[in-house]
Amino acid sequence: MSGSLFQLPDELILTTLAQTFPCREAQIRALSTLLYPGAAPCRNLVIYGTEATGKSAITAALLTRLSDQPADDGFSLQYAVVNSAECITARHLYESVVGKVADALAWDGPPSRCETVSQLTVELAKMLKYTTRPDGFRFVLVFDGIDRQRDAPHTLLPALARLSEIIPSLTTVFIVTSPPPHFLLTSSVPHLHFPTYTKPDFISILSVSPPPALPNTTAQETADLWARFTAAVHDALARAASRTLPSFTHACTALWPRFTGPIHAGTHTAREFSKLLVAARVHFQDERLLDPGVLALALTTTTTTTTIITPTQQQQQQPKKEPNNTTTAMANAGADLAHLLPTTPRLLLLACYLASHNATKTDLTLFSTHHHGRRRRGGGLSVSGGGRGRGRPRSKHRKIARKLLGAHAFVLERMLAIFAAVRGEWESLSLSQQQQQQGEEVLLQKGDADIGMAIATLASLRLLVRVGGTAAGGDAMDCGGKWRVNVGWEVIRGLGRGVGVEVEEWLID
Amino acid sequence: MAENENISVSFEEDDHRAAFVFNPEDGQGNNTKQQQTARPAKRRKVAKADAPKLQSTSAAVAAGPAFPPLFNGAESPDAVRLRRELFETVWPHVLREANRTTLDEVTAFLQQAAEAETGKITAGFIITGPNIASQGLLFEQLAERLCTATQAAKFVRLRASEAPNLKAVLKRIIRDATATRGAADGDGEGEDDVDAEVAQGGRKYLDYDLEALHVFLSRQQKQQSRRVVVAFQDSEAFESGLLTDLITLFHSWRDRIQFDVLFGVATSVELFQARLLKSTARQLYGAQFDVVQANSVLESVIKSAVAGTQAGLRIGPSLLRSLVERQQDQVAGIQVFISSLKYAYMCHFYANPLSVLLAGDGRLDRQLLQPEHIEAVRTLDSFQAQAEAAVGARQLNHAQLLIEDDEYLVAQVMELGQKRKEYLTQLLRSLHLAASTGLSSAPFTDLYILALSSGIDIDQSSGTLPLEDAVKRLSPGELISLIDSLLSAIQTGSPEIGLEGWESDAEEFVGPLTDLRDEIEGLIERSKSNGTALKSKYSAQSRVMRTTVVAQKVQLSQDSATLTDEDKAFTKAVDTLLGLLSQNLHCDPVDNLFLHEVWVFDSKSPYRDVFVPRPGATFGRALARPHDYLACACCAQANGGLESTLPTTAILYHLYLEAGALLNVADLWSAYYALVGDESDVGLDERSALVCFYRGLAELGTMGFVKPSKKKADHVAKLKHWTVVQRRPKANSGRDYYILLLAATRRLQHNTRRAATNPAFHAKLSQMTLQLAPLVQLTTGAIHPSFPRTLLAFWLLTDAQLDALAHFYHQRTPGPWTRQYPCPVSWPAGLGLEEKRRKLGRFIGLRGCDSPSLGVVVLENGVGEMLGRTEEEIVEGARRERVRRGEEVEEVRRKMGWF
Ligand SMILES: Nc1ncnc2c1ncn2[C@@H]1O[C@H](COP(=O)(O)OP(=O)(O)O)[C@@H](O)[C@H]1O
Ligand SMILES: [Mg+2]
Repeated sequence: MSGSLFQLPDELILTTLAQTFPCREAQIRALSTLLYPGAAPCRNLVIYGTEATGKSAITAALLTRLSDQPADDGFSLQYAVVNSAECITARHLYESVVGKVADALAWDGPPSRCETVSQLTVELAKMLKYTTRPDGFRFVLVFDGIDRQRDAPHTLLPALARLSEIIPSLTTVFIVTSPPPHFLLTSSVPHLHFPTYTKPDFISILSVSPPPALPNTTAQETADLWARFTAAVHDALARAASRTLPSFTHACTALWPRFTGPIHAGTHTAREFSKLLVAARVHFQDERLLDPGVLALALTTTTTTTTIITPTQQQQQQPKKEPNNTTTAMANAGADLAHLLPTTPRLLLLACYLASHNATKTDLTLFSTHHHGRRRRGGGLSVSGGGRGRGRPRSKHRKIARKLLGAHAFVLERMLAIFAAVRGEWESLSLSQQQQQQGEEVLLQKGDADIGMAIATLASLRLLVRVGGTAAGGDAMDCGGKWRVNVGWEVIRGLGRGVGVEVEEWLID
Repeated sequence: MAENENISVSFEEDDHRAAFVFNPEDGQGNNTKQQQTARPAKRRKVAKADAPKLQSTSAAVAAGPAFPPLFNGAESPDAVRLRRELFETVWPHVLREANRTTLDEVTAFLQQAAEAETGKITAGFIITGPNIASQGLLFEQLAERLCTATQAAKFVRLRASEAPNLKAVLKRIIRDATATRGAADGDGEGEDDVDAEVAQGGRKYLDYDLEALHVFLSRQQKQQSRRVVVAFQDSEAFESGLLTDLITLFHSWRDRIQFDVLFGVATSVELFQARLLKSTARQLYGAQFDVVQANSVLESVIKSAVAGTQAGLRIGPSLLRSLVERQQDQVAGIQVFISSLKYAYMCHFYANPLSVLLAGDGRLDRQLLQPEHIEAVRTLDSFQAQAEAAVGARQLNHAQLLIEDDEYLVAQVMELGQKRKEYLTQLLRSLHLAASTGLSSAPFTDLYILALSSGIDIDQSSGTLPLEDAVKRLSPGELISLIDSLLSAIQTGSPEIGLEGWESDAEEFVGPLTDLRDEIEGLIERSKSNGTALKSKYSAQSRVMRTTVVAQKVQLSQDSATLTDEDKAFTKAVDTLLGLLSQNLHCDPVDNLFLHEVWVFDSKSPYRDVFVPRPGATFGRALARPHDYLACACCAQANGGLESTLPTTAILYHLYLEAGALLNVADLWSAYYALVGDESDVGLDERSALVCFYRGLAELGTMGFVKPSKKKADHVAKLKHWTVVQRRPKANSGRDYYILLLAATRRLQHNTRRAATNPAFHAKLSQMTLQLAPLVQLTTGAIHPSFPRTLLAFWLLTDAQLDALAHFYHQRTPGPWTRQYPCPVSWPAGLGLEEKRRKLGRFIGLRGCDSPSLGVVVLENGVGEMLGRTEEEIVEGARRERVRRGEEVEEVRRKMGWF
């Protein structure tokens, strides 16, 4: 041990680290001071800051280097990082801590179970406190994202903060998003803030890794262009919506090939920044960059080759939508469903909708064939029918149309009865002439196996959901089971029109 | 149906009958549960004579279930064996090919993404359509494929039902991924919440700790891949929160374990993405795969397995049509189609003795054909048609020989194979030609069904496939390409349906076609040099019709006047072509063929009964028209109506149908009694009628038609909504129902009692003669012989009888059935006689038999008390009882009431 009382780690470590993580020099230095055994090691440390500000990355990188440093000056540091996102339960967290600490110390005692914080304390004390260690030894235990721990008891954080009081050679680091004051219930815990990046920060971070040089352009020119380009992207997109470093990086890398397209084509040179910008203006306005979706954008070639469309398929294929456009996707959902489902499940879904949205007491009027050869139907909507002038002047009551309200639960048996009652009429609308001739025998079937299958399908698509206490484990075919339809009016109307049924006519207010 | 009809059919035939008449008075039940034990004893009686046969079958059992001999057992074992062999050889083992392209693409994508190093999780979205069943097959194949690939990845299949929460999913992933290959497709047996541990290399991990998986993977041999593919089979059914959690978790582990995910998506990727957080979606690197649409799979299956030359048995047109329609209308995957096909094959070879005739020349010899076979052939429709046609064509000799001379008929039968082959070749060739003309837009399946059911004929006015006009309208150029495509169709055949090219067979078709083509080409040349466009009589007309509307007539005459020599020649060529086509594009409907029954199976009913069972409708029908099943003499004239001789339950069912949502039990009883009581033809006395009534109503309850109602005392609620839909009553205890019945009866008894002169005596008398509705054993439906039919008999039960009763109704030794009875009781050893009697009384539902701790002591008093209590008290008592007993009986009842 050298004589000095206060000694920072090797300067080389800090500078190289500051180069890999630009704009974080202050944080890196503060961190190394608070963690390095030779400097001013603290017991607990809270690192906070919003998402993707480099908290985890910088802490991990710094600790790796510090622990790799040869222990010639008498100080040695070991560490373990436990990511709460990977821990399913609190017990899982404890066991990972023990496991990782043991790994870091190359401890080969018998593994033991660890169900509570006190057991954790015992285990850690065994490894860190009651085993003699050299003087300048410190162990750093990092709890990354501990505020997101699943199933955490509320005493978890204060208890973890006590660990370093019990074990003198331990430093505990908590990485959180935004700490409430006094959440560790101990006094004077140093806090280290990782602020969000500003525009110049973003630009300097990105210029650390410029893209490969463009044709007919030097690497320096490319880097300059890249810097100006990232600034432009930041102005266009990031300031408004994509504020985190990863999403900004993503936007830049996605736009870069299009932006430099003219250079590759030879129409512009790298110097003509404003011309390039004008040429690429459409891309800068493209919002899809902000919401890339699950299908890989860069992968367009793959997607098209993997999507095989055979001629037979083309006939019944729904109009292909632009991928990644969720708004149109939602609007098209009704049409999609209509294409997806065979006839019976479609009609069944309509019957479910009616069962959910018609009051039970009106069933008799709607579906009974007792007195009239034909069933009576509700005459459209009286309120909120929009353009439907017919019903409007007649009634002035202030009730909200049922279709605008949420779906009510219904008993399966009732829905089947409604289905049996309306099926004949609906099917004749949707079937072709030739199929109608064989129609009568179809009508007789009620509650057959195919219906069960259709219900199961609708349920697995979450178009129909089970409600009530038995929802989790009960038998799906229990006729007393309660169900609720899970699709909205728009979808149902589209679906109804697909088979020639105006669902509106069957709703009663 | 508890009514007993005397049926003395032998047991074996019973096995294949559609309806059983259950006869409780037989004593021992013969319900399915007991069949295994009950049957051998019974069979021995009937089957003494053919004991050797039984032995031979038991020898065959070793190879699988044997076919029974047909012709009432007269079929020779050889023929039986042949039928079975035929079944096994003829069934074309249909496809696992369908998903091949998808599989290839998915594997290629995973491979490529693994090399791409995107820092994201590779995600394949497989759009499967809503068919749950087809997803199963696809993912099975995927698992196989990925596990057997050179870089075998670990494959974990998840279904939403097995994935209630994060912990359970992780447990499953770890268990399946660390399991050795092959056993990976484990079942999701009860995931208990105990935090079990998995040991991995000396250390123990929590069983949901991915670290264990990590250690496992890093301990593997070098060449084995570190990838874990997690497939979410029905991704829509997973909770979105769970998915998000999992993806985030996988993402944070990606530097140690490389997870790839696959999603089976029924709807669309957009909808799927809408359920995820954007930050989660950003962690996926996805590609979409569309599974080939069900329709084209269906078509290729039909081509290869139904229509193709290798299909041994033909599925008849009407059955095939209903199968195809079911595919379009219902959620029935291609698997259902295939198993329906297989079932048709099975039915045919299992039940049609003539199916032996399908055997090839080598295996079918004269000795095999018994007189019964020949007899059976003569009963066929197609035989009759053949004979009649022969008579009509004045081939009297032929007809007579057919009918009288066995050997002559056998000779005809032996030609069957050849004829069948000829017919099929002709059929498929015509179909192939028709398809290759490209003139008909109907898909292959429709064409095939059409050809089987009504034949192919291209005549414009009378034909089934009128192509004539379409051919006439073709321009010369199109006509040449038509001829070309016909020629190439003949040359190549169609590998899809197993049809080889038949150029050598069709010289008289190919030759003229080639000549025609050359001629038309020459005509085109010539008219081009003349500067006119070549047209035929037909195309010229149609052109005029189309172009001018006003001056039709003038132009028409002008136009036809300008038909040149070439045009005339061309017209002639078109006519020749049509003649050729109508000769070659031609086949007869399949049922015109002699003996087609041997190789065509076209019966819809067994298929429908098995694949689309309709228990609801069946129950309803059986109750509405019991006579159809019982075939008793007395109810013949009922014809679906109400008749007093019907079984009680059926009568009650008819009354039930006419009633409203709530049935007054007393009214029901009086209606019933009016029908069967003293004054009617049946003339039951009140007591026996009441017993029947109870029993009938209880049966309706068991079948889920009625349920006690809380709304009104002594009413029961209708449970089946037929056409009139009514609100269902709140759940109620099964015990209430019994009490309500009792209450209703009591009111009736009360009336009669008042009329009597000596009330006390009569009360006693009626108490003692009170008929008790017998209880049936749950497993068999039988009634114990010493079950007390009256209250008097109840008091006379001996100790041994009580024990026997308790045992019979599963009360003495608790088992799964014990708690299923309406009022289960405990039956510990060492009870006294009266104690036992009291318990049994309680078990069969007598009031006042509750345990002494509740205060009521003497049974006799209890019954008396019951008879004296007011209805309100009884209902109140029932309510208390219900609160005490919980509602588990109700649970059972509710579940049984689905149909
Ligand atoms: N200043 C920086 N320079 C370079 N890369 C950075 C910088 N800050 C963050 N990053 C990168 O951003 C990503 C997110 O960082 P991370 O440490 O996970 O953020 P946090 O833990 O704060 O949410 C990491 O890949 C990291 O390398
Ligand atoms: Mg972090």
